[in-house]
Amino acid sequence: MSASVLEVRDLSVHFGGLRAVDNVSFAIARHRITTVIGPNGAGKSTLFNLISGAVRPRAGQVLIDGVDHTGEPPHRLQAAGLARSFQITNLFFELSVAENLRLAAQILEPMAMAWRPVAASRTALARVDELLERFGLTDKAPYPVGKLSHGEQRRLEVAVALACKPKVLLLDEPTQGMSHGDTEDTAKLIKSLSSDVTILLIEHDIGLVMSLSDHVIVMHQGQKLAEGTPAEVRGNPAVQTAYFGHA
Amino acid sequence: MADALTRSMRASHVLAAVLVVASLGFAAFGAASGDTFYLRLGTEALIFAGLALSVDILLGYTGLLSLGQALYFGLGAYLSALVLMVTPSFWAAMGATAIGAVVVGTIGGFIANRVRGVYFALITFGMAQVIAKVVYNTRALGASDGLIGVPVIDINLGLFKISSASPVGFFLVVLTFIIILYALAAYLLDTPFGRLLIALRANERRVPFLGYRTVTARLAAYVIAAVIAALSGALYPMLRGFVSPELLFFATSGNAVITVVTGGVGTLVGALYGSILLTLFKSVVGSYTEHHLIVIGLLFMGAVIFLPRGLMGIVRPVIERRLNRGAKS
Repeated sequence: MSASVLEVRDLSVHFGGLRAVDNVSFAIARHRITTVIGPNGAGKSTLFNLISGAVRPRAGQVLIDGVDHTGEPPHRLQAAGLARSFQITNLFFELSVAENLRLAAQILEPMAMAWRPVAASRTALARVDELLERFGLTDKAPYPVGKLSHGEQRRLEVAVALACKPKVLLLDEPTQGMSHGDTEDTAKLIKSLSSDVTILLIEHDIGLVMSLSDHVIVMHQGQKLAEGTPAEVRGNPAVQTAYFGHA
Repeated sequence: MADALTRSMRASHVLAAVLVVASLGFAAFGAASGDTFYLRLGTEALIFAGLALSVDILLGYTGLLSLGQALYFGLGAYLSALVLMVTPSFWAAMGATAIGAVVVGTIGGFIANRVRGVYFALITFGMAQVIAKVVYNTRALGASDGLIGVPVIDINLGLFKISSASPVGFFLVVLTFIIILYALAAYLLDTPFGRLLIALRANERRVPFLGYRTVTARLAAYVIAAVIAALSGALYPMLRGFVSPELLFFATSGNAVITVVTGGVGTLVGALYGSILLTLFKSVVGSYTEHHLIVIGLLFMGAVIFLPRGLMGIVRPVIERRLNRGAKS
């Protein structure tokens, strides 16, 4: 088994004349938190869309555990062990918190259980309880997602992505729009998740990036500008010019 | 511990049980008074309830508006009539209909599920219209006259036989059959497969990222609905002794949608109550004026404006609260 659980080789996609993602390559190590940073429009979310199958790449490869999964649709990539959350909360708003998690966890059940009442899905329901507890949503379980606060919805967004026990978890700005306190709690939560899942993160809060990440990838105008440990990236003059805005 | 969706389904079951008890009372009263007309009308209402049930699986659970469900209802009616004219066996007619519905439903589903939303509605409408026109112009299928002279059959239920000509006997057969279809649909919608359909309605875009191919799930829902509509339609020639191409027309599909909206979208049991209400209403108003469609139209507009969740959308939550209170104490 290859050491890098997710590897991207020369990944590119163009929208019209715009090179949204241009020849990006990197590999991420198992059980590490890797963060993609970059100014708005750098291609971070598009990169996620390419990796998760939401958008087909024009060139390049996506490998999970050394196996090529380039251009496969999202449900295949999920089966290969990849799950993602969304920058704009993308849940089943009229359904309860518990049902959102159960829907995401029901894939853990054997196929035969698809035709038994949901109350018999022990594995999935146990997973729901575990996630409710871990994400501090137990009290909110019976409420429709639409009734939750923004911070709670953002947390649930991560929990739903995690429910299928993926090998790789892509989190697209999990703390987007959160209050300072919520952001810190979420950061701790993400840190604690990395013991059983490899995380690729998009994050804007530089303080958070520096404290949370094992590895940082900097994107600029669709290209990978630099990568390294948080300290290395911070000290890189090219990054300072492009991203932090001063030389 | 049952979750919220299972609990609302249980509330539907209570309402379905009420309907069964009321129907048995109605059958007993009808038999005692020697009535034929109202028992036949009630049977027809239940048959169209089966069609409405199939519309609710698509509209209320999967989030697909089919404007061509008459295609499968008519398919069932014609197949059943053709089989009965060759061999007067209830089970042969039902078996042929089920197989025919799976085949045609799969083909129709492949075509219709290529698109979504309003385009899906238009394609289902179009497919039904095309088939209706073909049947209307096919001499072998009786063209505009339909198939007449479907024989009365004895329905073999193992221990005893019931004649399709017996008003009360056939009413009870249809009641049992439609309740079984309801129970099967309700069971299915409470499984992980059924919940996946509900997820499609709630937010189809997220579903692929949970590991499911949405086209497959939508196709499965479509075929299941086709089979339920066709099996309901198969009962029609046994009741009336004929089938006509009108069964395939848009009025049939449209009425089924109106039935579901009036009865309560996404409740299943609303389809049953809606059909009884609408059939009764049509008959009563129809006895006063031939412009009963105007009244039906007004009723539908009224239902959409004043009862946006339909009849059961109002009644069911009340039952649900009662059940919850009972469960807690």
